[in-house]
Amino acid sequence: MHDPENRLSDYIDTLNAEHEPEERHGAADTPEMEKLLATVRLVRTLREPALPAHGYPERLAKTVADKISKNKHMEQKQGMKPGKRRRSWIWPSVTAVVAGVLLFAALSSWSDWFKDDMVYAMEKAVAQLTNYHGILEMRSQNEAGEEWSVRQAELWSEGDKYAMRQDDGTLTINNNEQKWQIRPQSKEVALLPLVPDLVKTGFDLRDEAQRAKQYPHTVVGSEEIAGRQAAKLKISPPGGLEYYLWIDKETNLPVQLQTAMQNALQTTYTFSSFEPNTQLEPQIFAYQVPEGYKVVEKDPGQLVSTIEEAVAISRLTPLLLPKAPARIFAFLDRIVLDYGDTTIIETAAQGSFEPVAGSALGTAAGGPLEVWQDHLRWRQDGLEIQIEGVKRAEFARQIAADLTLPDSAQEIVNKAQVKVPVDLEIAKADQQQVDRGSSPWQLDPLQVSLTFVNLKVTPEGIQGEPKIPFSSFKLGANNGAQAVVEVADGPIKQVYLERLIRQDETGIWSVVGYDPR
Amino acid sequence: MNTADLLKKAREGDRRAIAQICSDTWEPLYRFIYFKVQNLEEAEDITQETYVKTLTYLQEQQAPLENFLGFMKTVALNVLRDRWRQKKRRGIQLNFEEINPAETANQDHQKAVVQRLQLENVLAKMSGDQRLVLDLRIIKGHSVAETAKIVGKTEAAVRTAQYRALQSLAQLLNGND
Repeated sequence: MHDPENRLSDYIDTLNAEHEPEERHGAADTPEMEKLLATVRLVRTLREPALPAHGYPERLAKTVADKISKNKHMEQKQGMKPGKRRRSWIWPSVTAVVAGVLLFAALSSWSDWFKDDMVYAMEKAVAQLTNYHGILEMRSQNEAGEEWSVRQAELWSEGDKYAMRQDDGTLTINNNEQKWQIRPQSKEVALLPLVPDLVKTGFDLRDEAQRAKQYPHTVVGSEEIAGRQAAKLKISPPGGLEYYLWIDKETNLPVQLQTAMQNALQTTYTFSSFEPNTQLEPQIFAYQVPEGYKVVEKDPGQLVSTIEEAVAISRLTPLLLPKAPARIFAFLDRIVLDYGDTTIIETAAQGSFEPVAGSALGTAAGGPLEVWQDHLRWRQDGLEIQIEGVKRAEFARQIAADLTLPDSAQEIVNKAQVKVPVDLEIAKADQQQVDRGSSPWQLDPLQVSLTFVNLKVTPEGIQGEPKIPFSSFKLGANNGAQAVVEVADGPIKQVYLERLIRQDETGIWSVVGYDPR
Repeated sequence: MNTADLLKKAREGDRRAIAQICSDTWEPLYRFIYFKVQNLEEAEDITQETYVKTLTYLQEQQAPLENFLGFMKTVALNVLRDRWRQKKRRGIQLNFEEINPAETANQDHQKAVVQRLQLENVLAKMSGDQRLVLDLRIIKGHSVAETAKIVGKTEAAVRTAQYRALQSLAQLLNGND
């Protein structure tokens, strides 16, 4: 058993038995063998680690405390100060460790040293959640702190299935095979498309646990939420706005979420009551039409098992990714490919492609690519393709190899022939006004250009219909930070705009230059 | 008890404080170590040694309150390196990452994710037979005899196949660096 093949095989067997390979030094007698052993360990990382038997933390604590006490006792016997004996090993490396960690701590946020465990415990608690029933309160506030809306929903959830009853009695149910809405006011049962699912509450426990783990986070305090002690976590998505999540200290489950202020609104979701792992009535997710209700069907689409079936129903030839979707839905005029966290919607392209005003523009398949909120949209091979979700950019590149996303670092306004000076103080005040919910037109580069150009034409003010109509304005370029609007008529050919205060979808546009015609 | 108090008590050898620290931190630390050594026996030993070293050190020095887990992960890497050096008698350079404590401890998760993606990418380039033998032997953990039965080959052929598959994988991974 000394040839390399057998030694490698023994090594694999030892790891499979969860034992320390005793003879590793002997087995790895050549760099080649060392590399192969390392490759075995690497492949093994693809499997879940074997966890110690029940009661391990208690056994661990006891052994650790015993060893420390024994070491201390020996040191005292030898007349040494505690901690000195092992210095020869621990001192240089630990000093380096402390220096490194302190440097890291200085550079990063000050946080509770158990925060990772808290988030980890939350992830675990959420993973162990088989079902729940709860009342979710959703309160939105504007930036002035005024309550904008208050809604309440009763929720039942089990795996991917959910049912949600809103304030007005409307009950939406998704049992993963069908989605429908029971509307008591109109005595209707509306059949709805399964994906994309936009009905979800905005506070999905699994998504929140996942995000909290993924993004930098800090424990910033402890508060009582709906009668429960909860740790308050500040979550800072890179490049995004900070938001807060409260975790119930007893159950380790998220209990409240406060979104960042977006579009001058901030929403707080609170579980005012929550029963985890409870007994749910199985009928809640069963499709049934209450007596006296009529069924309204607006092409809810159907779940098909092959692309061929989808093609036959929709009469479209979709563009596909190398990877198969988890589910395929076929509609009369579109195909929806559901990849779990990402959805691809393909429809027949009709009319001209009009990007949403304010969307950033890239390029795909030789034409414009619309980048707006969490979706990408473009035209290719007679299809209009829209991709929503976390893997949108990765998937879009697989369909349109030439895809370029908007580059916000790219200078596009410096070509303006006439520069327009901007008073930053005024821009800041305008931004605050928009954040409070007024003058939302300033978020649209076309509307800002329309006002600017028409004021050039009629400096005394715009009375009635503007001289240069809205239809004359077209977005030429937009990288999210700077934009160019082309004007078909009037004294100005092109308007150059910039988001001077904030470079995201909540940032206002200011005119910084133009080209006269 | 807040973290500073807990730490102070643990430093004095208070068993309840030590139990609380172990209970709050053992799992991410253990998983971190297991990821490196890939066996329960060694992972349990190193986890234990890491707590002893860290808490012994705390008796003498101020510990960084922030990122305590990161601190312990780096101590664990030192323990691991020390053990592997002791085992190494022939002086062959170990393929062990240079320790940058803050980075190693804090970016490890991210690195693991990237490493997994790279590995899956490379595995996808291998032949079906090679992937199958690695899957059965290493990921699913079947014995040589069981694997031989599943794939309909002799045990000697399975050993040869897994050796060659690992050689190809190592080469592909090197090419991927």
